[in-house]
Amino acid sequence: MSNVPKSMAASAPALSLPLVRGEKQEDRELVRLSQNGTEAAFEELVRRHQQRVFALVGGILRRPEDVQDVAQQVFLKAYLGIKRFDQRAAFSTWLYKIAVNECWDYLRKRKVRPLVYEADLSEEQVSRLDGIVSAERPPQGPNERAETRELLERMLSALPEQDRQLLVLKEVEGFSVQELAEILKLNVNTVKVRLFRARGRIMDVYRRRMATANKAGTASAGQRKG
Amino acid sequence: MAMDTELGNAACSEYEALLEDYLNNELNSADAKRASEHWKNCAGCRAALEQAAESARLLRLAEPSADPGPAFARIVMARIRAAEQDRGVLWQPFVSLAWRVAATASLALALLVTYDAGWGHRPQPNADSTRLTGVSDLFSPDPANLPANGDEVLMMVAESNHGN
Repeated sequence: MSNVPKSMAASAPALSLPLVRGEKQEDRELVRLSQNGTEAAFEELVRRHQQRVFALVGGILRRPEDVQDVAQQVFLKAYLGIKRFDQRAAFSTWLYKIAVNECWDYLRKRKVRPLVYEADLSEEQVSRLDGIVSAERPPQGPNERAETRELLERMLSALPEQDRQLLVLKEVEGFSVQELAEILKLNVNTVKVRLFRARGRIMDVYRRRMATANKAGTASAGQRKG
Repeated sequence: MAMDTELGNAACSEYEALLEDYLNNELNSADAKRASEHWKNCAGCRAALEQAAESARLLRLAEPSADPGPAFARIVMARIRAAEQDRGVLWQPFVSLAWRVAATASLALALLVTYDAGWGHRPQPNADSTRLTGVSDLFSPDPANLPANGDEVLMMVAESNHGN
């Protein structure tokens, strides 16, 4: 068990894994044990992949209150289907595909769109965001960071669904282009091009909001003068 | 070759993937050389790259999903056990019925096999053995003693006492 991660050794003492190299190899062994009915092995798989599944589900739904429930459902489906998993792909890839499908099902059943914010930005918010984007002044303190995040969520919600998901999964949740291509069943080059265009689109939303806020600011200043 | 999108972001379409690679520090040296030579002379791609870099700074402000914590795996396993129990309860009547059907079918099959092997193939009784001793059979008479005419038939009936 010397090569088995500490978490694994601690959580599944009954498992006697052979010495294996690399997480994927360990995953294969855990999958094999799970297929033979070893619950502790599946629990270890959950522990290993829960953070990434949360990131993926959270990146797609952007509704923190629903992430826990959908993530649980993902692992439940994985457990029920693990005997049919032939290990031709990595366990993580298979699991992430289940997660993506579960998110789509969830959105379809609930008929919900990810959070949409309607309000426009205030003058103060505009100048704050401008400072951040031009890298002059990062947000100060937890309150300002929280508010800036909310502003960003508003802008993200104004994007087409696919753009928003790609940007969040890549830039916020830390998935690689390769992983996104596998999860979303897209060509790697397609992912790169779509990501690059999505970057342009969010900056377009950003500039439109800035322009609206600046115009409103100028108008109210003019009224005050008058 | 600059591609004008609806956003006013003008990047050459064949360089968009390279620009994304550049942002992610994933350009190999050959591609980096090719790209840098292009960007020197392409204001559209330079502007698009700057805009994309700004988007990366902006997106870094978003909060990644929180770590579910160590309790999550235990919750999942509890839910799995509950689901398995539910499945067991749901299928129990069908399982029980299936067992009964299977048992009945097995019994029927066993009876059929037994019948086929034994009772079904009992030797057919010999025609001679069924003939009662001492009783002449009017309907399958001995060919040697066949009656020649109607009188002889009446005589045979009278001799066998069937005429009483």
